[in-house]
Amino acid sequence: MAALLVAAGLVAAGAGAVGLVVTRHADVPQAAALQVLPVPTGPIEAAPATGAAQVAEPVSLVIPSIGVSTSLVHLGLTSSGALQVPPTTAVAGWYTGSPRPGAIGSAVIAGHIDSVAGPGVFYRLSQLQRGDRVYVRRADGTLAIFEVTQVQSYPKDSFPTTAVYGPVPDPELRLITCGGTFDYSTRSYLSNTVVYATQAS
Amino acid sequence: MRFTRFVRRLVLLAALPLLLLAIPAAAVATASAATTTGWIRLAHLSPNTPAVDVYLYSFGDSSAQIVLHHVAYGTVSPYEQVPTGDYTVAMRAAGAAATSAPVLSASVDVVAGHAYTVAGLGPESGLRLQVLDDQLTTPSGKALVRVIQASLKQSVVSVNWGGQPLDGSLKFGSVSSYQTVSAGTATLTVSGGGDQATATVPLAAGTVHTLVVLDGPKGLQIDDLLDAAGSGTAPAGGAATGFGGMAPHGPSSPLPWLAAIGAGLLLAAAGGLRIRARRVPAAAAGGRHHRVPAARS
Repeated sequence: MAALLVAAGLVAAGAGAVGLVVTRHADVPQAAALQVLPVPTGPIEAAPATGAAQVAEPVSLVIPSIGVSTSLVHLGLTSSGALQVPPTTAVAGWYTGSPRPGAIGSAVIAGHIDSVAGPGVFYRLSQLQRGDRVYVRRADGTLAIFEVTQVQSYPKDSFPTTAVYGPVPDPELRLITCGGTFDYSTRSYLSNTVVYATQAS
Repeated sequence: MRFTRFVRRLVLLAALPLLLLAIPAAAVATASAATTTGWIRLAHLSPNTPAVDVYLYSFGDSSAQIVLHHVAYGTVSPYEQVPTGDYTVAMRAAGAAATSAPVLSASVDVVAGHAYTVAGLGPESGLRLQVLDDQLTTPSGKALVRVIQASLKQSVVSVNWGGQPLDGSLKFGSVSSYQTVSAGTATLTVSGGGDQATATVPLAAGTVHTLVVLDGPKGLQIDDLLDAAGSGTAPAGGAATGFGGMAPHGPSSPLPWLAAIGAGLLLAAAGGLRIRARRVPAAAAGGRHHRVPAARS
């Protein structure tokens, strides 16, 4: 009877240990394979030297190396003063409070890394490499071409507001999405990925 | 004895996954936006100095990094992004050999994330190269503006933007400090010696401007340079750009499994104790049984 008790206890403890080990493995969803896109073509408009001239509004974004091709929606601010995000995870958006891409200053484009079900438009943003090109087409058909200079990840509670939104003296681009650990209790990612790019010369 | 060793192993086995869980939590990388470049732009703002060729040399390198040919009065180049370090700016008469001695030169120490204007200022007789430290940050929702007075015909001017005096008496060849103004579009008025020029200048929030007062063909002229631009209002905090569909699904709570291990071990320990308790008197009795047959043989 006592031996049975020992055996049953050991079996239960063993099963618990096995269960503990087996369920420690996190389930990592897989996305479809990357498809590199062709480089867009069109008239290239150089940056205006002074503030008087204006470039047209951005309408679409192509990042061939990570297979991004999307139209751009307009983003403003939420009632709490945070950056609005695109209404769907399939498109990116240009923050209308930032300079237009190709004009002097840091233009800001944000997109989702994923939806609740699968990859979003900026799923592969963190895979961009220094020197990769980013193409923004504007309403007048002209292209602004940027080259990636840095890819960084920041915890959201120490987001580098000045580096991302602050003034710069040349035409630059910032691409923003989420990254890092997903906090299931608040249903949000804990970090932001920011890609810095300057106009290609 | 063997039993307790088994229990010890079991406890180790149970603890191992907990240790493994702790590792990724400790390996959170910290990121920093290390910038290793700054910006330089070059300007010719001396009214009676003929056109020049402007050379930018990285310190200690005799071949020029940038050469701007035939830069005439009133010309300001776009900013060039350059690695941090010491640079020399040299001016030669337009068309002069690159090996000839420069008319003027100045050194610039480019600090990461800083922007500089190197401007030829003053009259030809007293031409100088001045290095201006250009500001790149604005108070939230405001614009910054400064004035370079490069009119020789009107040696002193006053500058007003939307009724707000930016500078009451700015002398030829001097540069005002940056002033913070409320964003908006207003009329800029430059007046001096009975001459006056006006321009409608939009100063958007988050932008930095340099207004250059020049001698134009018909008197005073205003050139509005956009030094830098950012977001008028910087959004608060990070961006909520994800819903977690592609995030690794976190492991479920380990508590039920730990409870099962704990309960199992308790059960086994209780059983083990009962076996021992039974075996001690049994062993004593067994000794007697053995001795009896031994005596019989």
